[in-house]
Amino acid sequence: MTPLLVEVEVDGVMRRLSVDRQENGCVVLLDERTIPVDIYEPMPGVLSLVIGGRSYRCVRSAMMDEETIAVGARQYRVAVTDRRSLRGQRKRPGAGNGALQIKASMPGRVARVLVTQGDTVRAHQGVVVIEAMKMQNELKAPREGRVKELRVAAGDKVASGQVLAVIE
Amino acid sequence: MPSLRKILIANRGEIALRLLRACRELGISPVAVYSDADRGALHVQHADEAYRLGPAPSIDSYLRADRILEIARKCGADAIHPGYGFLSENAEFAEACTAAGITFIGPPASAMRELGSKTRARAAADRARMPRTPGSVRGLTSPEEALTLAKEIGYPVMLKAAAGGGGKGMRAIRSSEELPSALIAASDEAARAFGSGEVYLEKLIERPRHIEIQLLADQHGNVVYLGERECSVQRRHQKVIEEAPSPVVGAELRRRMGEAACRLAREAGYVNASTVEFLVDEAQNFYFLEVNTRLQVEHAVSELVTGVDLVHLQIAIAEGKPLPFTQEEIALRGHALEVRVYAEDPESGFLPSPGKITRLLRPGGPGIREDEGVYEGWDVPTEYDPMLSKLIAYAPDRATAIARLGCAIDEYVIGGIRTNLKLLRRILNDPDFQAARIDTSYLDRLLAKSAPENTEVTGDTAIADAATIAAVLFAAPAAASPTSQAQTPWQQDALQRGLHGGLRR
Repeated sequence: MTPLLVEVEVDGVMRRLSVDRQENGCVVLLDERTIPVDIYEPMPGVLSLVIGGRSYRCVRSAMMDEETIAVGARQYRVAVTDRRSLRGQRKRPGAGNGALQIKASMPGRVARVLVTQGDTVRAHQGVVVIEAMKMQNELKAPREGRVKELRVAAGDKVASGQVLAVIE
Repeated sequence: MPSLRKILIANRGEIALRLLRACRELGISPVAVYSDADRGALHVQHADEAYRLGPAPSIDSYLRADRILEIARKCGADAIHPGYGFLSENAEFAEACTAAGITFIGPPASAMRELGSKTRARAAADRARMPRTPGSVRGLTSPEEALTLAKEIGYPVMLKAAAGGGGKGMRAIRSSEELPSALIAASDEAARAFGSGEVYLEKLIERPRHIEIQLLADQHGNVVYLGERECSVQRRHQKVIEEAPSPVVGAELRRRMGEAACRLAREAGYVNASTVEFLVDEAQNFYFLEVNTRLQVEHAVSELVTGVDLVHLQIAIAEGKPLPFTQEEIALRGHALEVRVYAEDPESGFLPSPGKITRLLRPGGPGIREDEGVYEGWDVPTEYDPMLSKLIAYAPDRATAIARLGCAIDEYVIGGIRTNLKLLRRILNDPDFQAARIDTSYLDRLLAKSAPENTEVTGDTAIADAATIAAVLFAAPAAASPTSQAQTPWQQDALQRGLHGGLRR
């Protein structure tokens, strides 16, 4: 079977791996090194890896659109890159001219709305203030643009990930 | 007074569970109350009886003294334990309990009033011949009075709210120019936070340590101190790590502080558990700070080094029983450290991080105690203090206790939300903390330095490699669990699960 090629961003560093699955685990080619990995999955979201006699408990945690892998007390922010999207279709926030959604980063209540529909906003200008756990968190425009849609009003309850406004 | 049979616990989170367990151990039936946000909370699941208070905001639920009393009467509870926060230091509530014939597990309302206001407590401290910071013993009435007093005691000075707590209404003043406007700001802030704009002024102690004495007083006039706790690791006047004993308090200082605290309790006619807080300067002078007329969050470290159960004793005192030991019988043994685990993100300005706990792996081993209020699958509500649990380690000495607590943090996994675990680990690793070179501004200094990178901590990249490999395996789960049919292409399996179509070659 042909090994699989994947790119992973770990703490901001892009790394290339090739993974070849075997009987009791897999062989990984990482940065020109061949690493045999013994794998056990005690429960979903937790992997026990034994690599060269060293044992690692890796726990996956996903929050919003960010994924972390905890190994002991250390946490790594990771993003497994879809190879297809690498061919230029991926949009980065802050770049380009498409519409961008501003989402609630946590559940809470809308304390204030700082713009009105049709307003022109600068990059990093405050758009909506969310109050959660007695703290106020100002959500800012990721880039300059025009407020195309405003989907919440002061006093509204919002869920984590809910779209609050659309900037174009 | 007869033994208590049923206690209503007017609180939530880890303290509600801790109190509930104590009731069970004593054969007392625990009653829980809950807001709409807490229907699924642990304390509700573990109680004998549970009653709804109202909507999620505290003002509509855990602060509804009338509702709580009505529930207590209806369910036939003999007593109410208020825990900490919420109604625990509310003298009117304590009075209302007494009027309704329900025992309030805490001090009499009169003692709460005497010691709850910081200005009145300072006056009581003078009568108890207790050293305190130079400054006023009553609220300031004008900017002129503040300026005269500040000049007399010398800058820098602190403005504080008489009804205060948690750093609200507090200002450090370094010169007379800053004073008048700061006075207005502090008073406004205090009025908003506590309903009283009374502000007083005291000398600012540079680089103080926060050290507090745990007291117990029964209804028969016996008052004892159970050693001290050091709580100097703070952020914005909120404690982060507490320990007992203090690394800098010797037997003689402990005796002087303990006896001063007992004198104050006697002076105020205090009954039940309380904490007298002090600032201790570099020359080991101690100054009275304030009294907490309730059980403290950090009570567990005192329990571990003295071998007593403070909640059991609170209940026994409320039942009218005399303290089962004398001052001479109290001995300190070993060292205990506590960290407060919060749902917050230290890397984004300590923003709260409520949400669902998707994975919870708990630490264990000798000397590890976890006072928890959460479980896997629990949705941490946005309405309350974001403390998830208290992780406590006990060992024969401080260095071993630090090592134990560090190992426990490494084992602890809380997935789905952000926590301060990594920061807590960083503090325990810090040479200044390990050498007990701490004061109340220690944590601010540590946070001002940039956090060491993952690779700097480990010195090798093998762990990052493991994380990298795990990330890929998680993304294509078929790779992690080999099937019996080795010929099944795992890419296809991953595709069927709708994961990462791009993994196709």
